[in-house]
Amino acid sequence: MTRLAALVALLVSWELASRARWVDPFLLPAPSAVGSVLYELARTGHVWVHFRVTVWEAVAGLVLGTAVGAVLGLASATFRPLAEVVEPAMALLNAVPRVILAPLFVIWLGIGVASKVALSFLLVMVVMFFATYTGVREVDPRLVERVRTLGGGRRDVVREVYVPSVSAWVASGLKVAVGFAFTGAVVGEFVASSQGLGYLLSFAQSTYNAALTLALIALVVAVILLLFWGFGRLERWWLRWKPEYRRRRRQPVPVPAGRLPEPAEQL
Amino acid sequence: MRALQVCGLGVRYGQHRVLEEVDLELAEGEFVGLVGPSGCGKSTLLRCAAGLLRPDRGQVTVFGRPIAGPSPEVGILFQDDALLPWRTARENVALPLRLRGLSGREARQEAEVWLRRVGLEGYGDHYPAELSGGMRKRVALAQVLAAQPRLLLMDEPFASVDAIVRHLLEVDLLRFVTEAGIAVLLVTHDLEEAISLSDRVMVMSAGPAARIVGVHAVPFRRPRDPVAVRAEPGFGPLVEAVWRALRAEVARMGWELTA
Repeated sequence: MTRLAALVALLVSWELASRARWVDPFLLPAPSAVGSVLYELARTGHVWVHFRVTVWEAVAGLVLGTAVGAVLGLASATFRPLAEVVEPAMALLNAVPRVILAPLFVIWLGIGVASKVALSFLLVMVVMFFATYTGVREVDPRLVERVRTLGGGRRDVVREVYVPSVSAWVASGLKVAVGFAFTGAVVGEFVASSQGLGYLLSFAQSTYNAALTLALIALVVAVILLLFWGFGRLERWWLRWKPEYRRRRRQPVPVPAGRLPEPAEQL
Repeated sequence: MRALQVCGLGVRYGQHRVLEEVDLELAEGEFVGLVGPSGCGKSTLLRCAAGLLRPDRGQVTVFGRPIAGPSPEVGILFQDDALLPWRTARENVALPLRLRGLSGREARQEAEVWLRRVGLEGYGDHYPAELSGGMRKRVALAQVLAAQPRLLLMDEPFASVDAIVRHLLEVDLLRFVTEAGIAVLLVTHDLEEAISLSDRVMVMSAGPAARIVGVHAVPFRRPRDPVAVRAEPGFGPLVEAVWRALRAEVARMGWELTA
């Protein structure tokens, strides 16, 4: 509630500052001006073509990156020699800003959708690789032992311990990956493209159209926030057993009276 | 037939000899307490008996069969309650039943019965993180007992719970294993706990190359109340006797002991 009030206050003062010409509306247009650009974009339907392209690229990168990252992560965690090759490569990719590869993808794959999917894929893949790789390695050996001593075989151990344990890591990885998927798509378009929100942004920048730039930024932020919220909900449900996602109504648990023997029984 | 027979057991980690020439026997339905200085290899011995660790020398047989890995006849309760955090209390207790081939519904029904037996009726839908330490212990106990073992191996099972809850758990445990005729090997630091629950108490020597150095018969018959038994006249002298044996071993580890 406080945050909402602060946001409203910021927007109002921004609007006033812009109208009173304390700031140059050419550099920082008022929220109402940005809003009307957004409205125009939506009304003419012109933006939807670009919007669809970007979302498509991001989703394709997310799905492919998650699949490949997860498979590589699982394979590396179970097969030592593979890890020795793959893990340092992933660590390197993780350490450098991966978007520097964007120009290379344009040369290799052209200015079409493929180079954006590739960049998005790369960003997501590294995150998901580490999520699954660490997920498998961080499995609690006590739980494995527990299932084994209760009569479980290999498959039971995988089903009861590995799958839930790794999926917890994957769930948190996915939330990060969604943002990365869009970063990859938009940055890729920014470098070279003929359509997409990144292309529109680049166009707005080259024509010094601050209102359009802000409107597009708002649009991308809104989409990512929506996806964040969605994945956050999914994560909360999936990891409902975790104390931090504990359902409120369950919080204080009274200790039941227990099985104290009757005094007569005791003596 | 012996519930557990350990013959000439030897375990080493690299150059370090942990256990050497350990012999011990548990009759069917017998409750044996095992005490020893910390780090002497009690837990290692227990892991060998559980089939989780392959000894370098000697033999472990459970109900007449050489052990080669975890067996459904052997239940294990260690200090850390390793309940599956993503499963509710009921599902955790149902797990060994499902692993034995019961359908999900049957397993959940029987799990509910076990939860009631350990005083956790109505807590079946709670996740382990929603339960107190003592309650988690009870779930773990129900889980192990639901698997219907004939031999129960316990390593400081109640070390992390407070004294009151601990007494309640001891009362429950002793009643269950006495009724079901389960043999128990209990590793503990707590002499009084060992004596109040066991039929015999064994003392292990200080490591390295730890062995069993003394066996004390406990004269109190079961069923008995492990809390009330502490008031029996023979209890104090027995604690004293076991303590003396243990103290000799602790002294070997370099502790300066006075009086």
